[in-house]
Amino acid sequence: MHPAHERALLLSRRHFFGRTATGIGTAALASLMARDASAAPKRVGGLPGLPHFAPKAKRVIYLFQNGAPTHVDLFDYKPELTKRKGEQIPDSVVKGARFSTMTGGQAVRPCLPNITKFAQHGKSGAWVSDFLPHTAGIADDCCFVKSLYTTQVNHAPAICFFLTGAEMPGRPSLGAWLTYGLGTETEELPGFVAMTSRDKEASCGQIFYDFYWGSGFLPTKFQGVKFRGQGDPVLYLSNPDGQSRESRRAALDDLSKLNDLTLKEFGDPETATRMSQYEMAYRMQTSVPELTDFSKEPQKVLDMYGPDVKRQGSFAFNCLMARRLVERGTRFVQLLHAGWDQHRNLNTQLKIQCQDTDAPSAALVKDLKRLGLLDDTLVIWGGEFGRTPFLQGDIKDVKSWGRDHHPYVFTVWMAGGGIKPGTSYGESDDFGFAPAKDPVHVHDFQATVLHLLGIDHEKLTFRFQGRDFRLTDVHGHVVKDILA
Amino acid sequence: MLRLLSVLSALAFAPAALADDKRVDFARDVLPILSDKCFQCHGPDEKTRRADLRLDIKEEALKPPVVVVGKAAESELVKRLAPEDPKELMPPPKSNKKLSAAEIATLKAWIDQGAAWGQHWAFVKPVRPAVPDVRDARFPIKNPIDAFVSQRLAREKLAPQPEADKERLIRRVTLDLTGLPPTLGEVDAFLKDDTPTAYEAVVERLLKSPRYGERMAWDWLDAARYADSNGYQGDGERTMWPWRDWVVRAFNDNVPYDRFTVEQIAGDLLPNATKEQALATGFNRNHMINGEGGRIAEENRVEYVFDQAETVGTVWLGLTFTCSRCHDHKFDPLSKRDYFRLFAYFNQSPVNGGGGSGQQPPVIEVGTPEQEQKRRAAQSALDDLVLKVTPVEQRLREAAAKGKDGKPEALLPQPVDAALRKGPGDRTDPNFDELAKHFKNAEPEYVKLLAEVRRAKQARDAAAQSVPKVMVMADLLQPRETFMYTRGDYQKKEGKVVPGTPAVFGAGPWLPAVRETRLDLARWIVSPDNPLTARVTVNRFWQTFFGTGLVKTSEDFGVQGERPSHPELLDWLAVEFVEAKWDVKHLVRLIVTSAAYRRSAVVTAELRERDPDNRLLARGPRYRLPAWAIRDQALAASGLLTPTVGGPPVKPYQPAGIWEEATFGNKRYQQDKGEALYRRSLYVFWRRIVGPTMFFDAASRQTCSVKSTTTNTPLHALATLNDPTYVEAARALAQLVMEQGGATDAERAAFAYRRATCRKPSESQVKILVSAVEKQRSIFAADKSAAAKLLKVGESPRNEKLDATDHAALTVVCLTLLNLDEVLNK
Repeated sequence: MHPAHERALLLSRRHFFGRTATGIGTAALASLMARDASAAPKRVGGLPGLPHFAPKAKRVIYLFQNGAPTHVDLFDYKPELTKRKGEQIPDSVVKGARFSTMTGGQAVRPCLPNITKFAQHGKSGAWVSDFLPHTAGIADDCCFVKSLYTTQVNHAPAICFFLTGAEMPGRPSLGAWLTYGLGTETEELPGFVAMTSRDKEASCGQIFYDFYWGSGFLPTKFQGVKFRGQGDPVLYLSNPDGQSRESRRAALDDLSKLNDLTLKEFGDPETATRMSQYEMAYRMQTSVPELTDFSKEPQKVLDMYGPDVKRQGSFAFNCLMARRLVERGTRFVQLLHAGWDQHRNLNTQLKIQCQDTDAPSAALVKDLKRLGLLDDTLVIWGGEFGRTPFLQGDIKDVKSWGRDHHPYVFTVWMAGGGIKPGTSYGESDDFGFAPAKDPVHVHDFQATVLHLLGIDHEKLTFRFQGRDFRLTDVHGHVVKDILA
Repeated sequence: MLRLLSVLSALAFAPAALADDKRVDFARDVLPILSDKCFQCHGPDEKTRRADLRLDIKEEALKPPVVVVGKAAESELVKRLAPEDPKELMPPPKSNKKLSAAEIATLKAWIDQGAAWGQHWAFVKPVRPAVPDVRDARFPIKNPIDAFVSQRLAREKLAPQPEADKERLIRRVTLDLTGLPPTLGEVDAFLKDDTPTAYEAVVERLLKSPRYGERMAWDWLDAARYADSNGYQGDGERTMWPWRDWVVRAFNDNVPYDRFTVEQIAGDLLPNATKEQALATGFNRNHMINGEGGRIAEENRVEYVFDQAETVGTVWLGLTFTCSRCHDHKFDPLSKRDYFRLFAYFNQSPVNGGGGSGQQPPVIEVGTPEQEQKRRAAQSALDDLVLKVTPVEQRLREAAAKGKDGKPEALLPQPVDAALRKGPGDRTDPNFDELAKHFKNAEPEYVKLLAEVRRAKQARDAAAQSVPKVMVMADLLQPRETFMYTRGDYQKKEGKVVPGTPAVFGAGPWLPAVRETRLDLARWIVSPDNPLTARVTVNRFWQTFFGTGLVKTSEDFGVQGERPSHPELLDWLAVEFVEAKWDVKHLVRLIVTSAAYRRSAVVTAELRERDPDNRLLARGPRYRLPAWAIRDQALAASGLLTPTVGGPPVKPYQPAGIWEEATFGNKRYQQDKGEALYRRSLYVFWRRIVGPTMFFDAASRQTCSVKSTTTNTPLHALATLNDPTYVEAARALAQLVMEQGGATDAERAAFAYRRATCRKPSESQVKILVSAVEKQRSIFAADKSAAAKLLKVGESPRNEKLDATDHAALTVVCLTLLNLDEVLNK
């Protein structure tokens, strides 16, 4: 801490202690001070009584695959589709299910087999498509949940549902709930960071809405800080042109002296908080550039993430950033990578999309393992729904083959942080159309993630508009069988 | 990232407590407990009701053995709270709900005292309470507000702070009423004026300022989820800003709040509705529009109507209808049927939900006077030419009609004939091409004239195109049937409902036999019998000036909402507001001229401990300004502010790539130049999927928001230290300081401080600032190129005659001043 600031805080501390024997002012200031004294890893913020029980995971990296990866081409091998290639998918399977307007009116729904080869991998024998060789390589670290389902058929509501528990914007996102409940373990970096990237071909026009990492009705300080893909990762991080660090330091010292006069005159604890926030801003001006400086990473590690790792704004870059963030105490890192919405370009785009994401995703898991962080870091990989096992488009026009949105069953994998490694959970039916065994609803998934972090999802609530809201609404069951 | 106050508030403040009033009041003391702990399973929602037991209805709850009136010990309700058999414990442990000892005591006392039943306080029409007669020299009384506030303070044995010093007071009230700081001339005039009504005179001046409407509009735009784009994928632009300007005008003209209400909800349905009244209904069309491919139109349409109904419910009634979209409300007596009856009023629009246009009909065209003038001029230029060309074309057609061999029009090919048959102002480009080609050789004069017509027609079209189209309300001639939906799913229709107001408020007296419209809803909302509207409204204005409403949950006046801190004051203000014919300026004047508002904001140790959130109002309001006001203040202090009122939104500085990144490059931010950079924040273009980055802690403008949050994070510090907006303001302020602030560092420091804070600095402050200037001067003297770079931030020109080192040093000091706690706070 800078001397001037320390002095200011001490003054203010004396100021409070001097005038109040006990009580709120003292308690508040004491907690403010305590943050500087406690041993690492220090927790900053969070609710008393949380976690509810010993957590398996202390932090989360969510690799959200925006646009919905096709489960039947990547993880959920269905030989039945090959057998029935081109045949109408039976009505007894579809059961009048609703689809987006893109195929809602399509009368012909021919079975479309996996477009590439599948094989079993690792000791666990998990089925993974050959589009994902690196993911196949970490199969024994992962739990593939193959029976997820959702109720939303369009992107934005489905993503909102996954990340906030409700299809309409307005609720806090998972990361906001976690930082609200558990606080964070860094004073130099945000507790909740969101980063976005997209496929190189820009094949889809989906947008990253800020409510995907929003704080809803929680105070806005819990919203994810969006690290940008160009320029300063944090908005307004750099001093204006021409202002040196020396000049800024001097200015902040003077600011601190003047504010201290105000604090003495008004006695408002918010003034003391503001003074410490300006100091934290100053520290962030060095901690964030340090964070994004990969020069000390071993070449071997950089290679693992692939050639894109040095390109700011790429998925690979963001994956390495995620590791560096959690290393430094960030609680929740949410990556969103778009480009999985293959309505008409399954045969042309899926492979490229996999190439962009496969190595970095696997590298992240390996890298965390290398550093001993995987045990208490939960990594999640998955999209907002799956894709139809039947064809969207004309079966004769191979180049324009596609699959439509499919909320009824899909696959998500998780690794580390208290997840049973080398397992699969749940099954879809022979067509990959609906869960056949152990269905997992989005709210169950959310309850499980909270559980891994030591939170009873029914007890982490916030009263808004007269109601105690929670991430899982009024639903959700912890999927115990995937816990280590 | 700590926020101390929010953590503390819950501990220190309890609404009018039991302590000095042993008599249990059902609505105040009992209903909140029942609602919070029991209604989940024994409340209005039929679907989740257990044991067929209702505790929200008198007849059911007071039936023995549930409640044995007068005998708490025999009442099952009480027994179940501490049963012998733990399995009988209520609420069940699984619910995570538990009654405190005090709550159990309250329930027992209530039953023993006779179990009087009553209604939730906010659902009972307010009656004007007697103004307490407080005669105590310690409590200054400026108007009845103070009588109520003082009575409570006296009871709590808390002494109020004295009136704030004049400099702080004029700054506070000017920021609150106009969103801008006072000029130094205004401060000086006030300091000089020692008449007893000097302050009241300032208030009157501010209420007449056009800045007042701009300031009041901001909160309303948050509530109305106003934005300049649609949101969602595509996020197409819309031109709703004439509606925004309507709001500014309405506040400035002091349109009575009942009219303000009726016109926005249903101005289109008023007899002989004017264009302004139709424009007002744009309120309802400010919702997001989803143009995502694959969306089902009806699903969108229903979402829009949900949003319209819920927004009106929150803004005017302070009720949270959202829950009832899927099921009967768990706590409030709002059934799913009530919800869909409210929905039905809005379910009559011709909007079908398809497409992503931000100008979906019904729309009205509302130009600025210049735009209208331009369009009229273009139209009349076209009309003149049409008059000239018509006889010529008449002749051509007649000539053709005479034809040869009695075959009329044989000489004109079909496309040419078709083009001629159209009015010249309605012709398409191919029409014009056909004519020009056909008559090129035979009628060169005509073709020349025709080219002129074509240009005039294009000019007219362009002028018409530039006139903004505002989405407004209209009802279908043939009413659309409304059904309740199962779990809010538009595909699953249940029973049919007709428009109507919630049953709990009783059937309205209006037109029982006629199908009700939005106009009936609006009139019911502002009827003096409505128990909620006036309370909800005065509470929101109170929140505007004190930071927290008398009811803290300004969005929820239902059973689960917070009780008012000063129930009688709230009711007195509500009745006063209605009886003063919904005069908003009267209400605002009452609040800001009260002694409670005028107090010093100094927090004594005792107050900090006993009332950290200032709910008892022993001190004046002091909290961080909203980000929009911080920016406006910096522009005003630096002299950069452009005072233009209204018009299309502007695009000031924003870091590169914000829109591009959020929209995959589909939307490019074209920063404006010149004066547009210095317009008030109200006019900044609001892209819904990624709002202006300069406004932290701002409402999302995605759904209705009637309460903003104030947090304190390092990201805010980075914004006000590094955003070019503030750096440029500091540079411009430094220039003013050098040009007008005197010659010595001390004089300049004092001048700068005063521009930033509206106050004369103390000696110790001047000392700190002088040493700051010296330090910065030595830093920039050692690096001239740094000074040059810093002085290039921002596009406003700089006085090149000023010494660059001095100017840069003062710029840093001014930037420091703009970041003072005292400047960021009101």
